[in-house]
Amino acid sequence: MIITNNLTKKYGDQIALDQLTLKVGEGEIYCLLGANGAGKSTTINLLLGFTEPTSGNASINQLDVHKNPKATKQLLAYIPENLMLYPSLTAVENLDYFSGISGKKLSTPILKDFLEEAGLQSEAFDKRISAFSKGMRQKVGIAIALAKDAKVLLLDEPTSGLDPKASNEFGQLLQKLRDKGVATLMATHDLFRAKEIGTHVGIMKDGRLKQEFIVDNITLNELEMFYLDTMTYKEETL
Amino acid sequence: MISKTFIKETKELFREGRVRISLFIVLLLLGVAVWISAKQYQNINEQYAMAKTAEREVWDNQGEKNPHSAAHYGTYAFKPKYPLSLVDQGVDKYAGTSIFLEAHKRNEAQFSAAADQTGLARFGDLTPDFILLFIIPLLIILLGYNSFTKESEMGTLTLLKSQGISSFSWMMGKWSALFFPIFVKTAVLFLIAGIVLNNLNDFGVFNWTSLGVMFLVYIGYYIIFINIVLLISSLVKKSGISLVLSLCVWILACLAAPKAASNIAESKHPYPTRQEFAANVLKDKKEGLDGHDPWSKESKLLEKKVLQEYGVDSLHQLPFNFSAYRMQKGEEHEAEVYFKHYNYLKEQYANQSKVYRNLAAISPYLPTRFLSMAIASTDYDTHWDFADAAETYRIATQKFLNDNTAQNTRYGERGYKASANFWQQLPAFAYEPPELDTVLHRNSSNMMVLGIWLFASFGLMFFTTKII
Repeated sequence: MIITNNLTKKYGDQIALDQLTLKVGEGEIYCLLGANGAGKSTTINLLLGFTEPTSGNASINQLDVHKNPKATKQLLAYIPENLMLYPSLTAVENLDYFSGISGKKLSTPILKDFLEEAGLQSEAFDKRISAFSKGMRQKVGIAIALAKDAKVLLLDEPTSGLDPKASNEFGQLLQKLRDKGVATLMATHDLFRAKEIGTHVGIMKDGRLKQEFIVDNITLNELEMFYLDTMTYKEETL
Repeated sequence: MISKTFIKETKELFREGRVRISLFIVLLLLGVAVWISAKQYQNINEQYAMAKTAEREVWDNQGEKNPHSAAHYGTYAFKPKYPLSLVDQGVDKYAGTSIFLEAHKRNEAQFSAAADQTGLARFGDLTPDFILLFIIPLLIILLGYNSFTKESEMGTLTLLKSQGISSFSWMMGKWSALFFPIFVKTAVLFLIAGIVLNNLNDFGVFNWTSLGVMFLVYIGYYIIFINIVLLISSLVKKSGISLVLSLCVWILACLAAPKAASNIAESKHPYPTRQEFAANVLKDKKEGLDGHDPWSKESKLLEKKVLQEYGVDSLHQLPFNFSAYRMQKGEEHEAEVYFKHYNYLKEQYANQSKVYRNLAAISPYLPTRFLSMAIASTDYDTHWDFADAAETYRIATQKFLNDNTAQNTRYGERGYKASANFWQQLPAFAYEPPELDTVLHRNSSNMMVLGIWLFASFGLMFFTTKII
């Protein structure tokens, strides 16, 4: 479970994130929508402990992220927009290393099972990552999360640049993880994907969470309308 | 986590083309260098054995001859090539291989290998110590300069951090992955050198312990370089900057510091020129007894003293030949003069060495170089030892010859010739270099400086794990 309370991050006078309060429960996929600079990535960086909050706090499974950095990192998995792995290592070797450094000792057949579960074709298991497409790398990222038995998944625009088929496959994988009880926070620009796989949607602008919806209570058209309204509001006030 | 990072890094290193090529080139160079050095070592020792035997035969077969004529005819003390010079040739090339031993005069070692070469010798030789001291540190830089920077450049750093990687384990994994190929390569070189030397039983006594200690010295040197390279890679953001900084350290440590140390040492504690040295020796010689001059004030004083001591009125009444006795006393005075002036040179050398040791604080190359040469018995200390042993032998030889004349002739008697078999009674010159314990004791300060470098570089590297 992810909880943030009045989470704020300032860089000098500039407010990157302003009093964000949200909750992502087990088996929920919370999609953060917003333009570039809205504060989505800052939120994820704060949850990863990569940066210190100016005020407020964030917790994962009741553990404060900044007071328990090691323990919270054991609980989460992170997939950035462009998941970069070691190009000279194979998919299995990459998975072995990344699960190994998080303390998991897994045999090769089990690692291959995770890759298969993540939707990677078996012919690619022993191929070097340098030959992988972005979609294939994202699948290895999901396999890392599976191997780690992550309780929380943080995604920073993971479907950006993926073709529709790969994007759809990725969405299905997230739904699988949701069914396993994983709490997912995904920063994205993709309204369609957010509506399709998300359980909750939040619209951010200028570091603030402007609106929140339960996906089942809103149509795609309504979501698009609210999103555009939120985005254009600033232009009108200017 | 350390072993996971070690395995990952090792796989990455060996799958990269530049690493395979560089490892192959270094191994090839090492093989060629060991082969060339082994050939040279064998040739020189064969020449040494031949020259030593031939010179002794000449000495033993002089026939009937006046002992003082034989003293002026002289003989040679040859410096052997020691087994570990195959790994580190040290100053051997410049120090001379033989000393001419004659009456009244202490000569310097001559016939250095460098003197036999053309100006092209300035380019240096491909020797194992060149590869060990210069090329392998470069290889460490090539293998390790992007150890950490590549993680942020490839974009894997954020994923690693999100996995909760421990900085210490990460650093140790990378450290061991860099250390492993260097350790294996160095171990292979020393093993090959050991096997080659062990099979050249005819020349010198090869000591595996000395080779092992030398191996440890080099491993310490490489660990320092590994620590520095990883430290730089962990502190900067770009691989290019890391490479340039690491190369700057290499240039400073391996090229600039030794030359600067040499210049500073020479300017602070200069050696006298050859002319100055010769003039000073001559001046002091003239102030004492000349064994060839019976009319000098010093000769007359000696004459008076000996007559008083033996209670006789005439030199003819002495139980030995006073001329030979005076000759020996003259030799002893000259030996003292040489001792004084060579001692001054040694003091200057010791002072220069102290400057080098002080400057070792800016370069781990300096203590490593000195330790390596000392263990190989190719340093100046060993050369001084050899020169001193040759001088002791020269003095003993002169006494042996003068005593023979003194005991077998009377004052005023001319034309004395020692028998043809007399020459064989002079023991042959034999010199053994200092034992390993003595060498290490002499170089304790170099070992201490190398130890400080090791601890300091480890300390700094581990300190940076807190800020990665």
